[in-house]
Amino acid sequence: MEGSNMNDMSQFDQGVAVDTIKMQSRGVNVFYGDTHAIKDVDVDIADKTVTAFIGPSGCGKSTFLRVLNRMNDTIDICRVTGKTTLEGEDIYDPKVDPVQLRAKVGMVFQKPNPFPKSIFDNVAYGPRIHGLSQNKSDLEDIVEKSLRRAALWDEVKDRLQAPGTGLSGGQQQRLCIARAVATSPEVLLMDEPCSALDPIATAQVEELIDELRTQYSVVIVTHSMQQAARVSQKTAFFHLGNLVEFDETDTIFTNPSDPRTESYITGRIG
Amino acid sequence: MPNSEHIVSSFDRDLEGIQAKIMRLGGLVEEAITKSVQALESRDLDLAKTVRRADKAIDELEEQVNVDAARIIALRQPIASDLRTVLTVFRVSANLERIGDYAKNIAKRSQSVIELETVPGTAASLKRMARQVELMLKDVLDAYIQHDADLAEDVRQRDLEVDQMYSALFREYLTHMMEDPRHITACMHLHFMAKNIERMGDHVTSVAEQVIYLVTGVMPDDDRPKEDKTPYVHEA
Repeated sequence: MEGSNMNDMSQFDQGVAVDTIKMQSRGVNVFYGDTHAIKDVDVDIADKTVTAFIGPSGCGKSTFLRVLNRMNDTIDICRVTGKTTLEGEDIYDPKVDPVQLRAKVGMVFQKPNPFPKSIFDNVAYGPRIHGLSQNKSDLEDIVEKSLRRAALWDEVKDRLQAPGTGLSGGQQQRLCIARAVATSPEVLLMDEPCSALDPIATAQVEELIDELRTQYSVVIVTHSMQQAARVSQKTAFFHLGNLVEFDETDTIFTNPSDPRTESYITGRIG
Repeated sequence: MPNSEHIVSSFDRDLEGIQAKIMRLGGLVEEAITKSVQALESRDLDLAKTVRRADKAIDELEEQVNVDAARIIALRQPIASDLRTVLTVFRVSANLERIGDYAKNIAKRSQSVIELETVPGTAASLKRMARQVELMLKDVLDAYIQHDADLAEDVRQRDLEVDQMYSALFREYLTHMMEDPRHITACMHLHFMAKNIERMGDHVTSVAEQVIYLVTGVMPDDDRPKEDKTPYVHEA
């Protein structure tokens, strides 16, 4: 479906007008050796929107997420076909530098994985390697802004030189989000960002995701139906490598059109 | 609508339990309608009392259904068709409970009417009207349990006949009252009873709409024909 519907009132209801497609995939197939992991998937990722990918384990949702910032490039036997664009530009074009791409399409993983460095250096890492700051105070600004954006600043401002690994799980995950937003990405990919967190930390990250979508396009893979329902505006249901249904989150969780979606979200054998 | 079972089988047991209570509630309400009108027809004061007392069981069962449904929401967080099932349970049980109240009111008025002089022919036509609503209720409960949206739509359309019967009774009572003012008290009661049955039909229709929503996920448009023209009657 096209995400560029100006008359889409339900999106206005949620406070953000969605009128642009940030990323677009057409006919995407992914193979791991002989395994056909993603089958002919078309998806439009809208700007300033949270898109959730749901589906049973092994359905291809994480694989597809990794198509969006070419993380699959790091797997030798992985082959991706079809077209995926960011703002109209083919991200699999040989001219595109995957490292530059990943600065624009940031990623947050399931387990918080801060570098064994200070809190400051964790966040400063990206801006440093991409040369995004002119001087020290510039860098300090980026770090503060990123930590604020990740709702972590108040908790760590007095101990920026302490090791990032010394934070609690929820704080570590927010540190990873701060690290991802430090390079001013356009899209933020999150692969089960809350599955290692307690309910309080989960709520904090979900609140953060809702704030992040005012500036970024967020794509989240989650095993929690409730989380997908809570944080996203669009939901895609993957099953056996196929994109079964992609619609407004409201629709998916109240009246999905495909029986496979219904069976999955209601917790049925099917 | 998926027929397969939930992976967590206790969820299915919860949902089945609540549906069973709805069916039991429906059964009690059907019985209340039959007996209330029967009490009038056979001038049976004891039967009328029985109906009034039995309404307590209906109220309690509705309360139980609401508690169960709230518990399912809290513990299971139902979505999609499961959510519709639970939402429907709330409204259907409320509709059934209201029908029970109307039956109780009919029984109450029967007690008064029995004490008065009989108005010829009136009990029979009231019974016919109640029979029509009873059949609609039976069908809508079948439609509910079988997830049959077509049958529910059929029931919804049949409310027209109840409205027509009510309009006819309205005129009939008006005629009786004008012919013999001694019948006014009885006819006033009978008219309220007819109105109660007409309202029962509306609640059955609402249940039918809930069934359609349950099955399709969409509430039907409000385009069914209505025939209660009595608000516009200004002369006999």
